[in-house]
Amino acid sequence: MTIETQTMISCRGVTKQYSRGGETLTVLDGLDLEMSAGRFYALMGPSGSGKTTLLNMVGGLDRPDSGELLVAGEPLNELSGAELADWRGNHVGFVFQGFNLIPVLSAFENVRLPLLLAPLSRGERKERAEYALEVVGLKDRMGHRPGQLSGGQEQRVAIARAIVTDPDVLLCDEPTGDLDRESADAVLDMLVQLGKDFKKTILMVTHDPAAAERAESIVLMDKGKLGSIEDR
Amino acid sequence: MDLFRLVWRNLSRHWLRSFLTVASLVVALFLLLTLRTFLTGLESATAAARSDRLWVQSAVSLFVQLPLNYPEKIEAVEGVEQACKWQWFGGYYQDPNKFFAQFAVEPKKLLEMYPEVNIIEGSADDFLTGRQSAIIGRALADKFDWKVGERVPLTGALFPHPDGIDTPWEFDIVGIYVPTKSTLDSNTMFFHWDLFQETREQAGMDVNVGAIVVKTEGGANQTAVMRTIDEMFENGPQRVQTTTEAEFNAQFVSMFGNVPFFVNTIGMGVLFAILLACVNTMLMAAREQVHDVGILKSLGFGNGSIFTVMLTQSLLLCGLGGGLGILLALATESAFGDLTATFLPIYNIVPDTVMLGVGITLAVGLIAGLYPAWRSSRLEPVNALKAGA
Repeated sequence: MTIETQTMISCRGVTKQYSRGGETLTVLDGLDLEMSAGRFYALMGPSGSGKTTLLNMVGGLDRPDSGELLVAGEPLNELSGAELADWRGNHVGFVFQGFNLIPVLSAFENVRLPLLLAPLSRGERKERAEYALEVVGLKDRMGHRPGQLSGGQEQRVAIARAIVTDPDVLLCDEPTGDLDRESADAVLDMLVQLGKDFKKTILMVTHDPAAAERAESIVLMDKGKLGSIEDR
Repeated sequence: MDLFRLVWRNLSRHWLRSFLTVASLVVALFLLLTLRTFLTGLESATAAARSDRLWVQSAVSLFVQLPLNYPEKIEAVEGVEQACKWQWFGGYYQDPNKFFAQFAVEPKKLLEMYPEVNIIEGSADDFLTGRQSAIIGRALADKFDWKVGERVPLTGALFPHPDGIDTPWEFDIVGIYVPTKSTLDSNTMFFHWDLFQETREQAGMDVNVGAIVVKTEGGANQTAVMRTIDEMFENGPQRVQTTTEAEFNAQFVSMFGNVPFFVNTIGMGVLFAILLACVNTMLMAAREQVHDVGILKSLGFGNGSIFTVMLTQSLLLCGLGGGLGILLALATESAFGDLTATFLPIYNIVPDTVMLGVGITLAVGLIAGLYPAWRSSRLEPVNALKAGA
C-alpha cells in the first residue's frame, strides 16, 4: 500500500473505556496525536496512562469506543474483524515484553509463521525468514526452540518475526523490560538500526528513560491524554 | 505445513495426555468394530439365506426329534422338489473341549440343495459313494490339521456308538469345502445319513430326524408350501413348524438374546464415554493454548485460521486413535475369526464396518473439536495475549 501522507499514525478524539467491577475507567480520553512515517517514537507515561492501550489500538488488536484512528492511511475503526486481522498481517509487526514466541516451534518456524498469510512460495518464505534472522544476528540459532535461547536472543527472534513481513509500523511494548542491560542495549541498537536502514515507523512503549533516549521523539502520556511530544 | 506442524507439536506438548486419549480411542474403535463384526457375522447367515430353502422342525423345539417318515411325506407336497434329513450329531474329537458341529445328511441332496458347498480338495463323488465318508470345512481342517484320506474318530456324546461310549464313530475325510456364501460355515463336518441310521438300527436303537431341509420348485408359492406341511402334521405324531431359511437362521441369533440391542447399547456406551474423554482433552488443550491464539491473532491470523488449527488438532488426535483402532481390528480379524469359528458362521470385517469406524472417528473428532475451536476463534486478541503472559 502506498502511503501518500507523511503521517503514519493519526488519532483524533480517540476514547477508550473499560468496565471493571462496576466502575468505568477511561483509559484514553479524547486523544489527539499524529506520528510521522519513518520515525522512532518512545511512548512514556505513568502506569494507567493508556500507553499499552494506544499501542494495541494502533496495532489493530483493540478498537476505540469513539474517535478516529488512521494507521498507514487505514481507518481502523471502520474495519471488520476479518479485515482488521488481514490488515495486521500486512502492516504491523509486534515486539512484546514477554517475547510471545510459540514455544513448540523453532526460531525459524516462529519467524516464518506470519509469512503463511502472504502469497509467497515455500522457497520465498524460507529465504525471507532466514534473512530476517540474519538481520538480527541469529541465523546460526534458527533451529533452536525459544526455551533453548536466552532472553535477549528470544527478543531478537521476536524482532525478526516482526520485520519479516516488511510492515509499515513496528509496535514494541516494553521490549527491554525482561532483559538485562547488555541485552536491552543490543535490542535497542537493533531497533534504531531498523528504523534507519528500513525506514520503519517504530512506536515503543517504555518505562525506561535510557531506552526512551534512543528514540527520535518521546511522547508523554498522562491520564489518557497527550502530555507532550519531545523531538530529539 | 507450518500450521500442521504447529498442530502436531501442540499435541506433543502433553504427550502423556495425548497418548492416553489416543489409546482410549484405539480401544474404543477396536471394540466397536469387533462388536459390529460379531453382529454382522451373526446376521450374515440370515442375510444370505436362499428363498427356495425351507426348514422343518418340531413345533415344540428344535431339540425334539421328528419321525423318520416325515421327509418322504414332505416330498409328496406340491411345490416341494426334495427334502433332506439333517441330524445334529453332537460328537467331539479326542476330548469334549475339541467340539465342533457335525451333521448326518443325505450327501446327494445336500450337494444339490447347497451349491455353495465348494469342494476344493478331494471329490464329491467319493463323498456320495463312501459309506463312512465325510466332508469338512477348510477352517476345521486347518484347526485339527486334518487331510483328505485321513480317518477321524469322533466320540458320540449325543449318540454314543452302539458298541459303547468308549468306541468312537469313524469317518473318512474325502473332501474339504469352502462355503461360497455365509449360509454355511467352514467349521462343520457332514457325513452319511445312511451310516448314522444303519448303525443305530443294527443295534436296535430308535432313529429319528432332527430337522428337514426342503427345497421348493421354481415358482412355488412358499407360503402355501409351508402352510401345507404344517397342516399335514397338525394331528401328529409330531407337530412341525416350517420356516424360511432366513427365519430359521435368525432364531439362532435370537438364542443369544437380543444381541443387536445388547451390542448396540455397549457400542453407544463406549462411543459416548470416548466422546466425553475427547471433548475434555480438547477443552484442556484449548485452554492451554489461549496465549498462542493471542500470538497468532497478533500476527494477522483470523478467526477462521484459528478455528481450523484447533479443529485440525481434534481431528488429528481422533484420526490417529481411530485409525489405529481400525487397523488393530483388521490386524486381529483372522485371530478373532478362529476364536469365534465354533459359534459364528463368519467373522469378516466388511467395508461398511470399516466405513462406519471412519465415520465415527470423524464424528468424534468434529464434535470434540467444534466447541473448543469456536471458543478459541472468538477470543479477543488482547485478552488472549494477557492469558498466561
